[in-house]
Amino acid sequence: MDKNAIEIGRLLRSGIAGYVAGARVSEKESPQFGALVRAPLGADLQTYGLIYDIHVDDDGLVRQLVTAENVDAAVIEDNRVNRVVPMEMSIMAVGYRNGESIVHLLPPRPPLSLDVIHQCSPAELVEFTSAGSFGYFRHILRAPDAPVGEILAAHIQAASAAHEEAGNSEWRAEATQELITLLRDDYATLMAVLSALGDALPE
Amino acid sequence: MPVDFITIKDQIKKISAHAPEEAERLQGLHKQARELLAAHASEISALREKVNTAASQDAFLRCALPVKEELDAAFSVPRLPESATVLAADGSQINPDRHAALNFYLINVGALSMELGSIKAPETRVQSSLHFGEYTSAGTISESMVALQRDTRERAFLVELAQDAGQPLFTLTDGPLELWGGKGGSSEESESFTKNLAEYKQALTTLAGIGAATAGYVDKPRADLVVQLLEVAAAHREELGELRNKRPLRGATDANLFKEILEPGQRSAVYAIQSKSAREYAGPLGLHFFYLNVGRPGKPWLARVEVPSWVVENSEMLGNLHAILVDQCRMLGSRPYPYLLHRAHEEAVVTRLEKQQISDMLQRELQAQNLETGEESQKQSVKNLPGRRRFTLGQKRN
Repeated sequence: MDKNAIEIGRLLRSGIAGYVAGARVSEKESPQFGALVRAPLGADLQTYGLIYDIHVDDDGLVRQLVTAENVDAAVIEDNRVNRVVPMEMSIMAVGYRNGESIVHLLPPRPPLSLDVIHQCSPAELVEFTSAGSFGYFRHILRAPDAPVGEILAAHIQAASAAHEEAGNSEWRAEATQELITLLRDDYATLMAVLSALGDALPE
Repeated sequence: MPVDFITIKDQIKKISAHAPEEAERLQGLHKQARELLAAHASEISALREKVNTAASQDAFLRCALPVKEELDAAFSVPRLPESATVLAADGSQINPDRHAALNFYLINVGALSMELGSIKAPETRVQSSLHFGEYTSAGTISESMVALQRDTRERAFLVELAQDAGQPLFTLTDGPLELWGGKGGSSEESESFTKNLAEYKQALTTLAGIGAATAGYVDKPRADLVVQLLEVAAAHREELGELRNKRPLRGATDANLFKEILEPGQRSAVYAIQSKSAREYAGPLGLHFFYLNVGRPGKPWLARVEVPSWVVENSEMLGNLHAILVDQCRMLGSRPYPYLLHRAHEEAVVTRLEKQQISDMLQRELQAQNLETGEESQKQSVKNLPGRRRFTLGQKRN
């Protein structure tokens, strides 16, 4: 596990199937849609998840500031850094780590309030996606409210880049083949996924 | 039982029946006031002398006192200083509640510091002060005593932050610069006022000493200080002693008077405050004010800005303060109000949940020492009972 992974926020609320994390709004180290993240579950346990939604709520002051002709840079910074209007990230659980082994099942328990959420490094992404045989895809395909095709496209784009960097250029084809197998009876979803993959991964 | 809306509706009809007549009366008063303002605009010395005469006959006379600018003068907004530090503080409180389980109160002051022209986020600070088990001979500490302490702490917090702030420095608070309180209360309230006033004036003196401007920003002012000056101007000398009881322009307000005179961004002439209580602020602390139109074309919005003598006597400082306030109000677009003052309020405000958390923390600490913590009154407990709930299948128990 990479000790230098980027801290992207803290847990607001959680369940077995997923959790929501909050973070200050910052352009520098903002989490990305489809990114693999992890949260602690105890001494040797970590849960892994994929970010499937990111949103920033407004409030009365933000709505009022929009009516100003120009918004000062310091005022924008004040609202992003000081005010309690966090960026919220919805994360679906896709597996967990128990000691040295990675499991593509739902975690045994949810992470707790204010636990730190880290974005996984490319090395961790390679480690997680190499474990087993794409068992975590079923969590993504079953997600009721998530834009499945877009998540898979973003995830496969990031993961294949990490695998290619690590010298494995076959991972992307294997992942795509696995998706075709899993979705062979669901033509509509398969087309949506392949279309998104086609946009994300042009040849 | 809900409000008796049938009766209320009748009352509203009666009120609105008189509204056109009242609006016409007020319009007439404001027209008269504007004519008086124009007619006496340049009589600065004569008016000062007349106000002093009126004050000698009526110790409670409270009105504006011209300083040196013509009464109907309007000054356009100067350029913003290239660099400056703006500090704003605002306070909030949890008042003592005799129905609560514990007798405590809290004063919370929020402050922000912003560097003009910088892209850095303003620095935020909060100072919280918890008071437990304090009583007066009348019972718990009164709300007005807490408000007094809050106002004093706002100014003291600004002084604390001003020590390390960059110059030129401008400090803002919401509300009048003059400390209010101490009237009609118990001797303890009066003593508390005297003590707080001394601390408050010391804080102002320190700000003056370090060359920081300070101002109290009054949004939607209802005052009629200039209107009362015009009443003095129009009165015969033999009427001056009785003027406060006659009030020929009663109902007219300074804000309505100046909104016809000041263009967006413009300020009025600076006036001093003639009042018995204002005499407490002598020399560099002398209380002054001007009106400022922070609105936009076709939508004037007047604020009263109270400033001490040391700001009035420094024309560069006064001009920069004028520019900074217009800039701060512009930041909030269609609701012109100084951005930093709003943010200071946001930082300071204490929620009901926070009040409950503080009470719980206090109770736990006292119970850990096997001390009796008391209970909330039965009246409060009954008020806190939950409202009616609807049964639905599968409903969880709360």
